[in-house]
Amino acid sequence: MNWGSFGTVDGWLAIVGLAIGTFAIRYSFIGLLAGKKLPPRFDRALQLAVPAIFAALVVPLILLHAGEFNMQIRWPHIVAALVTGVYAWWRGGMLISLVIGMATLHGLLWCVS
Amino acid sequence: MTADTGAAASAASRAAFRAGVLECLTLIPSYVPFGLVCGVAGVQAGLGEWGAVALAAFAFAGSSQAVLTQFLQGGAPLMIAVLSGLVVNLRMAVYSAAISSRIAGATRRERMLWAAFLVDQTFISNETRHQRGEHMDHPLAFYLGCAFTLWPWWVLMNAIGAFAGAKLPTSWQLEFTIPLSFVAMVVPLLKSRGQILAAMAGGVAGVLLYAMPLKTGLIAACVFGTCVGMLVDTMLAKRAMSSGATP
Repeated sequence: MNWGSFGTVDGWLAIVGLAIGTFAIRYSFIGLLAGKKLPPRFDRALQLAVPAIFAALVVPLILLHAGEFNMQIRWPHIVAALVTGVYAWWRGGMLISLVIGMATLHGLLWCVS
Repeated sequence: MTADTGAAASAASRAAFRAGVLECLTLIPSYVPFGLVCGVAGVQAGLGEWGAVALAAFAFAGSSQAVLTQFLQGGAPLMIAVLSGLVVNLRMAVYSAAISSRIAGATRRERMLWAAFLVDQTFISNETRHQRGEHMDHPLAFYLGCAFTLWPWWVLMNAIGAFAGAKLPTSWQLEFTIPLSFVAMVVPLLKSRGQILAAMAGGVAGVLLYAMPLKTGLIAACVFGTCVGMLVDTMLAKRAMSSGATP
């Protein structure tokens, strides 16, 4: 059965499944650990897990082109990310960091084109 | 509570909400390309335009939406498609754990709100706010300011993708604002040597394990980076002890 712009029954089952499952993941520790005192070791681990997971998320997005490490294509992106990182570390502030990073990227791409 | 302190509290909470809105307004461009793509993909997967919009609204998680629609379009069984999308979202369990230590006194309803809008950007914005020590009495108001900026915008971008089939020229490279925004948010959070080493190890592992299916490499890289960080912390603490300095 197809409801045109409203899709199909299976489609809605998928939507509801992903929505409920994702909420369960998001609520998992927030709900489980409600009002509990965490052992300090666990708390320290989380302080390290946050930079670790974001680095794991971001570094491939900067270095890889179609899943492959390709310095020849990606070097402007790598430089732009480094410039953004250094500026953010030095001064902070999302908007200017982003503008500087994107300007660096497009400047380099324009230079080589 | 007197009327005066009540008014002051609600003014402070409104200020926190506004700060959250401002903090996340800068992230709006980074949602455009991927939101449009996800909207288009939802329609192509047979969800219908309204289905694609509903997926964005109720899941609010781009990479898992992309995986789900890709699997559906490829004719995968429903259960496999949904479970694959959920595996991609497992990293949110890390955010859930990290945020739970920040909201000790929250009620059940407040916890549900924290959970409902938990994505990379809202999570890391809240971490940034916490590190700066701002709005410590109204963290949820700040967080909701962030969520009520990003969530409607995400749904809107998906809707434009779904109904208009619009895409941005790839030469704009606007999708690169996603990693750049994470860099800009996370670098100032790196305070200890353990954290820096954890980030470096996580980044290297993230690249090496990138080919693992459904972004499971992310979780493995997170565990690896955390272990490296803990090792470094332990070693530094030991060295400080043996040299007689206070840690």
